Amino acid sequence: METIRNITRHKLRSFLTISGITIGVLALTTLGAFAENFNALLDGGVAYFGSSIQVGAPDGQSAPIIPISKIDEIKKVEGVAAAFPGYSFTAKPGQLSFSFGVGDTIQASDPAEADYGAIRLTYAQGHAIDAGSQGQVVLGTTIAKEFNKRVGDSIDLPVKPPDAKPDFVNHSFKVVGILNRTRTAPDNFAYINIADGQMLLQDSLPDAIKSSIDVSQITQGIAVYAKPGTSLAELDKIADRINGQVPGVKAIRPSTLVDAFKQFGTFFTGITTAAAFIALVVGGLSVINTMFMAVAERVREIGLKKAVGATTSDILSEFLIEATLIGLLGGLLGYGLGVAIVVIRNVFFPAADGSTLFLITPTLTAIAIGFATVLGAAAGVLPAWRAARLDPVIALRNE
Amino acid sequence: MANVRLVDLTKHYKRGSEVIRALDGVTLDIEKGEFIAVVGRSGSGKTTMLDLLGLLLKPTSGSLFIDDIDTAKLGDSERARMRAHRVGFVFQEYNLLSGLNVLENVMLPLRYVKNGKDGRARANELIDRVGLSDRIKHRPAELSGGQMQRVAIARSMVNAPSLILLDEPTGAVDTETAQQLVDLLKRLNREDQVTILLVTHDVDIAGEARRQIRLKDGKVLTDERVGEGIPVA
Repeated sequence: METIRNITRHKLRSFLTISGITIGVLALTTLGAFAENFNALLDGGVAYFGSSIQVGAPDGQSAPIIPISKIDEIKKVEGVAAAFPGYSFTAKPGQLSFSFGVGDTIQASDPAEADYGAIRLTYAQGHAIDAGSQGQVVLGTTIAKEFNKRVGDSIDLPVKPPDAKPDFVNHSFKVVGILNRTRTAPDNFAYINIADGQMLLQDSLPDAIKSSIDVSQITQGIAVYAKPGTSLAELDKIADRINGQVPGVKAIRPSTLVDAFKQFGTFFTGITTAAAFIALVVGGLSVINTMFMAVAERVREIGLKKAVGATTSDILSEFLIEATLIGLLGGLLGYGLGVAIVVIRNVFFPAADGSTLFLITPTLTAIAIGFATVLGAAAGVLPAWRAARLDPVIALRNE
Repeated sequence: MANVRLVDLTKHYKRGSEVIRALDGVTLDIEKGEFIAVVGRSGSGKTTMLDLLGLLLKPTSGSLFIDDIDTAKLGDSERARMRAHRVGFVFQEYNLLSGLNVLENVMLPLRYVKNGKDGRARANELIDRVGLSDRIKHRPAELSGGQMQRVAIARSMVNAPSLILLDEPTGAVDTETAQQLVDLLKRLNREDQVTILLVTHDVDIAGEARRQIRLKDGKVLTDERVGEGIPVA
């Protein structure tokens, strides 16, 4: 109770000090939520690319297509459990928009691939596409929200751009399922089956070669899986064996992709949190200043407390508690404001593709409030030590 | 058995190359329940003696026993604990905490004492005894000088100490209030058998004590029963 009174004794000074911490924690919360959201996206990439081997056209080949027959050759390589063709198209061709993450994408894949992938997709509505039926689509949560689609609705894919040429071709798909949020790439995916993927590939080819290519015999890429639980190092070895045994393709070592994702994640988190920590440290310095002033003003009070029986550790803990409370108050206020900004931004001002930019996690909450509290306590150590070591005789007669 | 015993108690300070003999070999026995005035000119060693008795200072040499405990053997924490349990302080400038009300100020020493659960009742009783029951929620700024000093006296007694040390307790109040404060101290001394040692410049106030110790240059010049003129052995 007395601690709160001491803090409120100098309202303006306490307000300014707490504001310093608040601004720091606000920066930490918002930038941290931004980094957490981005890291969730990267984690999806790490999970996906860390559990499969991506096989594409060999180096030097300009067109990203390979014969589908390569799948059978790859399946013969030691350690390969399954291999699936894959086709990928931008869902909104000709429309440029800035996005932190994967843009809206049409992904054609075999539903059986879901049994091997590390990212487990679950359905908020409906069910998976039927491998044998064309014209069906499963939408990720973000893309479904962006186009306001529910199970049973139709959606034309790719989306026709406003300035589309007269020969622009798209097709109507029936929405049979909507995925639960994954916070990674599938949120922006529209899943169709292989036959529909080959149809879109056919549409995308230049007229000059369109009639001469049998799209059922080519794929843009092959996702290769080992048996579940295979280590990253073992997947690398399988990739090396594919490169050695299957000509005309290039298997990328999964560790290369995973390392790239992790490196970028670390760099991004480092940049955002460092900026926030600097703001917090400045707030911490203002706590030190305030606590030194509090000690200077309360010299006689400290002397009196020692005279009536307070030990050095009693005085030390009284000032430490005060500094810690300042840190905690600033932390709670900054975190509260940060969450409010994040929620308002996510709910009322989502990104153009409907995705959210911020993610508040329990870890971020603990770091934001915990760091502010520890910072307050740390900032109080020196002033509290000075207070605790005051000579009571001198303190009592201080003018 | 003496409540407080000073044996050749000495406190020297160094100021540059000069040694200040603030208290110089004082030996005294103070019995439980005595009311003592310590007088002397500025620089005679009164305040140093008070600080030593209150365990705020450590002596350069000599011994100080309080309730037969040799305080020279105590560490800082034990000295603080002893201050909390056995010594009460009253200062000229009251030293009340402005943010706390009367009751909270009186209860302040209870914070530093274990088993202080009956403290609130004791604080209320003391506030009643010093005549401030109707001011219990008032802050120091709302009290007169005399009332503030009554609060300080109640605070000094809340842990039921065996010794109360007062440093010019009437120095900041008018004569009438000073007399009322002394009457209060005499009553508490009589009722509680608490030892009171009061440092003062005021001859009239000193005359109210039953024993008067006069210091000069850090030594005991006289030590006698007031009105009897008989030196204390």
